[in-house]
Amino acid sequence: MSVDRLMIKRDVPYQIYDVDVLSATDEELKELSAEMGLILALDEMKVIVDYFKKEGRNPTDIELQALGQAWSEHCCYKSSKNILKEFVFAIDHPDVLSRGDAGVMVFDDDYGYALRIESHNHPSAIEPYGGAATGIGGILRDVICMGAQPIGLVDPLCFGPIDTEKELPQGIKHPKYLTNGVVSGIRDYGNRMGIPTVSGGFFFDEKYTGNCLVNVGCLGIVKRDELAVNYAGGPGEVMILFGGNTGRDGIHGVTFASADLTSTSDEDSRGAVQLGDPITKEPTLHACLEVNKAGLITGMKDLGGGGLSCVIGEMALDAGCGADVDLEKVPLKEAGLAPWEIWVSESQERMMVTCKEENVEKILQIFEMWDVPATVVARTTDQPRTRIFWEGQPIFDMDLEFLTGGPVYNRPYVLPKVSTKANEKFPELPANNEVILKLLSDLNVASKEWAIRQYDHEVRAGTILRPMVGKMNMTGPGDATVLMPVQGRWKGLAAAVGCNPWFCEEDPYKGGMGCIDEACRNIIAVGARPHAFTDCLNFGNPEKPERLGEFREAVRGLGEICKKLKMPIPSGNVSLYNEAPGGIHILPTPMILGTGLIDDVRKAVSADFKEEGNLVFVVGKTLDEMAGSLLFRKFGGVEGDVPAVDVDNLIAPHGQDARSYGQVSGQSMPRLFRRRTRSGSLRDVHLRRHRSRYRPQGDGIPRDREETVLREQHQVDRRGQARERGRIPRDPR
Amino acid sequence: MKAEDVKVCVLRIEGTNCEDEMAYAFESVGATAEKVHLKQLTGQAPLEMRRSLEDYDILAFPGGFSAGDYIRAGAIFAARIRSAIGDDVKAFVEAEKPVLGVCNGFQILVELGLLPAKDGSIMDPVPTAALYNNDSARFECRPTLLRNDNNGKCVFTSSMKKKQVVMFPSAHGEGKLLSMDENFVQKLEDNDQVVFRYVAPEGEETKYPWNPNGSPSDIAGICNPAGNVMGLMPHPERVLTRFTHPDWTRGYETEEGDGILIFRSVMEKLLR
Repeated sequence: MSVDRLMIKRDVPYQIYDVDVLSATDEELKELSAEMGLILALDEMKVIVDYFKKEGRNPTDIELQALGQAWSEHCCYKSSKNILKEFVFAIDHPDVLSRGDAGVMVFDDDYGYALRIESHNHPSAIEPYGGAATGIGGILRDVICMGAQPIGLVDPLCFGPIDTEKELPQGIKHPKYLTNGVVSGIRDYGNRMGIPTVSGGFFFDEKYTGNCLVNVGCLGIVKRDELAVNYAGGPGEVMILFGGNTGRDGIHGVTFASADLTSTSDEDSRGAVQLGDPITKEPTLHACLEVNKAGLITGMKDLGGGGLSCVIGEMALDAGCGADVDLEKVPLKEAGLAPWEIWVSESQERMMVTCKEENVEKILQIFEMWDVPATVVARTTDQPRTRIFWEGQPIFDMDLEFLTGGPVYNRPYVLPKVSTKANEKFPELPANNEVILKLLSDLNVASKEWAIRQYDHEVRAGTILRPMVGKMNMTGPGDATVLMPVQGRWKGLAAAVGCNPWFCEEDPYKGGMGCIDEACRNIIAVGARPHAFTDCLNFGNPEKPERLGEFREAVRGLGEICKKLKMPIPSGNVSLYNEAPGGIHILPTPMILGTGLIDDVRKAVSADFKEEGNLVFVVGKTLDEMAGSLLFRKFGGVEGDVPAVDVDNLIAPHGQDARSYGQVSGQSMPRLFRRRTRSGSLRDVHLRRHRSRYRPQGDGIPRDREETVLREQHQVDRRGQARERGRIPRDPR
Repeated sequence: MKAEDVKVCVLRIEGTNCEDEMAYAFESVGATAEKVHLKQLTGQAPLEMRRSLEDYDILAFPGGFSAGDYIRAGAIFAARIRSAIGDDVKAFVEAEKPVLGVCNGFQILVELGLLPAKDGSIMDPVPTAALYNNDSARFECRPTLLRNDNNGKCVFTSSMKKKQVVMFPSAHGEGKLLSMDENFVQKLEDNDQVVFRYVAPEGEETKYPWNPNGSPSDIAGICNPAGNVMGLMPHPERVLTRFTHPDWTRGYETEEGDGILIFRSVMEKLLR
């Protein structure tokens, strides 16, 4: 069977088809969706058929392609929207200045800071270098189109074990190849753009072997009176497309992102991976900020997923108008692209501004100065429709509400079974030295310095606390990075990642809360006040009730803790369908980027041991919560409790205000803070020791205590002999 | 001449990306710095934006990846300068006006033939040295300690003590200074053209990572025979304050950063 009979080519010198959906059978509709790469379900196809019945005509191929983009999971969040609405959208805060392409929060009286994180998982699984690089490009554009100067990039990554010797399923690339490619992509794009890569993380687990995660976050700084919007000012305005040219790279990127990876994704979807070009982007950044500063534009938006098809509709719709597009005016990388390819291409480095007619010349002159190609391609109208013309001939005419409305589902879910203490099986452990060495040599604990030092983390001269802290060339990882965004002002912005996929796997609700908690503690640990979060929610196929259940529980956890903390999530991204061939799904991975404010960066605190004789404290309770711990994962422990977040304690330790940590650090009392992480206090003591060359005596092993403070004065052993005489905690009962 | 009368041209093209902090560095010692696109000097800009190099007192080449550095680092920017305003640049150097190149800026100065420059020549027609890939074959972002080994010729270190050690951070993939001339280092030495050497903390041998790129004789920065053109790989403009030093949380004596010395030196020289 073939759907060729439905495709009726128009007798014109360009490639456009009318698609006879009105006479198509259900089977043909399904096949059409697959053949054209729309990834729309039969029910969705039928809604489209009904719409065109009312219009009294068949759609063109470009119209169907536009619907495939707009109604994809990636663009319309059809599986996740209701859950996000229920738990996170409602959290408001007076410091939220914008919830545009990036969230914008109050920085001080004059400035706001932008924050956003998103995923570039599937492209990176196919072509790690290009996928990661264009991921950076995309997130930079989200921040730039708020009128903000990017000031920091954040790249948390998840891969399969790089030392795996297992045979990989067909079409899956080796984790080591992916890791190297992604790190190189981030390095080459970020460094060329001159934006410091200030934070991130590596997570290694078998479950990411078939579907790696590449999350990319960005922070920016914007004068509050220069904050841009992402939509037009009204009808009768001009839309100027600028930056890179449009090509066949990145076609069907969003639909590719809205389906599971398959064993043939490499061949089928190579064209969905865009090509990055930081040296087109770099001057584009300057030009964008310049036209915005000069007050010449009414709105600005980047071309990301869905390309022109999404950006034009959204810029017009959000302004309550429609748009007329002259598609043949779009500058191309190569001749001969079909109109639908131009409309949905996700070629990189492209952005759109809207402006009043009288400012067009001035804007084009600024772009010309920066050698950035810019072209007038559309105008806003007072009709709520998008109409596309090719040399004057109509090829597309659709109601914008319908086009961008998209379906929303309450898909069935089952709540995940969570790990409990009742089912805990404590692992048999070898000798202590072996335990410690094994934990320290785990990929998730081992040093990431080889990657971090390939990223320029101090360009722009505003990095106060770096990702690596301690004595020069004797450094270990810090907790949060602190930036000084405005030259000449001591006010600082802290940034840290919070994520624990293993907790989330054992108990997505507690795990979700834990991610926020970790980000907060990271920020508190440098002496800053937690302020806001942005999240990238990486999960499996939402059409599988188990996967959606994980998603729902994790989001519930995130939402509840943020509500209690009174901290907003002004931006975020959902990435579903992270499944490898054979249905192997990733660990539920809500990736949190937290931000914090510090009034004076000169009061920031770094994590390294400073000198002999300092007291070492553990703040907070250490409980018998071993589920998802490195110890259990490494030595075969089963279940147990996932660490619960004591939100009240996080807010008000010892009856004081949440800021008490910050206040203490403001008085320069503590020489370091360090939050417990994936492997608990043991690793922390070792890391700090490494950073400072001081070797604490005492075992550094966490024990179960009701007391909140561990009072062990660590003496220094000058001979450099580590004394590993610790015990591993056993089940206390 | 007053400090604000000192006009600094911070020259950039696409991919130059350290121009903000370079301009800020000169401003912070009182000079008037302007970020100028090469097109403004070559007459390819609207009339009101055009500039002339001779109107400036200092020329600075900031770091970055000019034109992407997809071929030899700095080569494209240098070629554009040479073809469009090569004579202006030569005249600028001949007039003994100070020229600073940091990181990619250093690479550009070497590609332009302004550094190391043979004795008696201002601007060699072809480069006589190159900044080659780091020994680690990687981009390296890390703090580096530098010792001022200049004997007084270089205008950018004139107010530094001899053998003074400072911390400027490095961030580059191609910083190993090589030449076809076998006696290259000795000639630089004899001519007092060596300005900065990478050093390790006292008592330690200078090797990787203290010398982050494998540069022979640990050379990090050099000047031309006249001492008015200096190029170095590490970034003084990133450490104008102590609080962007990597280890300030371990204690410090002054809030000032080491990098300010470079900018103060050249200003003192001009204002004398």
